[in-house]
Amino acid sequence: MRKYFSLFLISLQEYFTYRLSFVLWRVRSLVSFLVLLFFWLAVYSQTSSFAGYQKSQMFTYVIGVAFLRGLIFATRSNVLASWIRDGGLNIILIRPLSVFKVLLSRDLADKLLNVGFVILEIFLIAKIFNLSLFLPKSFLTIVCFLIFLALAFFLNFFISIVISLTAFWTDDIWAVRFLFGVIFLELFSGALFPIDILPGGLKNVLFWTPFPYLVYFPLKVWLGQANRGEITRIILVCAAWTILFLWLAKRLWDKGYKEYGAYGG
Amino acid sequence: MSPAIVVSNLKKYFKVHKKEPGLAGSVKSLFKREYEETRAVDNISFWIEEGELVGFIGPNGAGKTTTLKCLSGLLYPSSGQVSVLGSNPYGRKNEFLKQISLVMGQKNQLWWELPAIETFILNKEIYEIPESEYEETLNELVELLEVKDILKIQVRKLSLGQRMKCELVAALLHKPKVLFLDEPTIGLDIVSQKKMRDFIKEYNRLKKSTIILTSHYMDDVKELCQRVIIIDKGKLIFDGQLSEITEKYADHKIISVIFSKDVDPKKLEQIGEVRSYSFPKATFAVKRGAVSVAAAELLQHYPIADLNIEEVPIEDVIREVFTGKDVA
Repeated sequence: MRKYFSLFLISLQEYFTYRLSFVLWRVRSLVSFLVLLFFWLAVYSQTSSFAGYQKSQMFTYVIGVAFLRGLIFATRSNVLASWIRDGGLNIILIRPLSVFKVLLSRDLADKLLNVGFVILEIFLIAKIFNLSLFLPKSFLTIVCFLIFLALAFFLNFFISIVISLTAFWTDDIWAVRFLFGVIFLELFSGALFPIDILPGGLKNVLFWTPFPYLVYFPLKVWLGQANRGEITRIILVCAAWTILFLWLAKRLWDKGYKEYGAYGG
Repeated sequence: MSPAIVVSNLKKYFKVHKKEPGLAGSVKSLFKREYEETRAVDNISFWIEEGELVGFIGPNGAGKTTTLKCLSGLLYPSSGQVSVLGSNPYGRKNEFLKQISLVMGQKNQLWWELPAIETFILNKEIYEIPESEYEETLNELVELLEVKDILKIQVRKLSLGQRMKCELVAALLHKPKVLFLDEPTIGLDIVSQKKMRDFIKEYNRLKKSTIILTSHYMDDVKELCQRVIIIDKGKLIFDGQLSEITEKYADHKIISVIFSKDVDPKKLEQIGEVRSYSFPKATFAVKRGAVSVAAAELLQHYPIADLNIEEVPIEDVIREVFTGKDVA
């Protein structure tokens, strides 16, 4: 375990040296946050309730999205795809390290930085726009939310690993990543709008995919819009998806490693 | 004592996708892909004793690096057996990985944005090296490679030679029993090459670790290795003492003379194959058996200032071996 902690620390150090790219990434997140915020500010200037969401609930949702983007979406695990293609993986394979754990350590370092900044940004924006946040009434809800966060974090991590592992077989990995990592992730996860404002049929289809478990369901739990039975069910389904993708990642790794060309050098 | 490395009938084939040139070829490959099998390593067997320093030589694409990658567990062999220190490298067991190291001249493990010392400390944790042992090994390596002053400088600001030295330190901190060096001197200037060679030699002598070295530079191999393995087009074509190569493949020797007076080049043809002649220097390639006769002939009938009989330089022998002369 200690070696991965050292990797975590050295990754933090490394990310600090790429200050500009980090700042730009934060600006990008901030812009998408603000766009969403302005959109809903416009909507709620006409009405106090929309599709079953009170104003404070919707703004909590939007702020929650910004937070989860930093915690869940922001991932460095896609570097695996380029490691596979250019042989960078060799450096890890040759040493007593687990590739997944290395990626996880680096990811955690990245998340720590991102979440730190996200919280600061949210605080500032909530002050500037004078937004009131919806806080859960029971402590249990907060615990469920935290469990959910951990699951969603791993779910996104393993989805991203599975996508990256396709680099063992295909050169144009970016197409796969664009479909899953951009379209599905943005639209189907609830990162742009709460999924339940969609028509019933489409909504039900989306609930069969893993994506709503990354953003939409955790926030529903936080907003107190899920009862106990529902919370148990979504946590179990999310856990099942996470285990499925973990299993898939391991399978693909074992298969892909045999195909690995160890190019370069 | 069992050998450190045993390779039997190792094969590694790659499927390579062939594309016709240009945009039209790219479009065509969207619909129909043709694959070709390249035999990067084709049925190679050898074994290496503990403590040996063996050179792998062969032209680009001969299969040297692929073999090293199979030995270090990066590549899954298409068929055949590989055993390094009694393990199958492909299993990637921690106890195995802690005993080997691979240095690639064109790939670095050092963290680019951070000083080299950070990578060393990280490796201490990764290989679970006890603090006191780490200190001792680090000091020893730093002294041998003379890198004390550059440990705290960002890696990307180091020169290639300095970086390679630091790469070596990083690769040797855990005292590997088996060390794979893939082109460790590539791109280095002559002075740095020499230093690198001296270090490898010294390290092998002191630590008795088993080392396999690949290189394009014959100087590396000549200075470091007694035993060489020559690979070409995926096949092993020679495995033995460096000195045997010349005896086996060079059926002639080189006689070089300095004439004291101009001679008729045509007449020289009678002595043997004239490799070059520009007054006053001439060189001949003469069959081994005929060398003394040719030398006597020259000395008796020509105005000779100086005469030397030499073996064909090892570089030339190997070049001939590679450029098609059927040696099997």
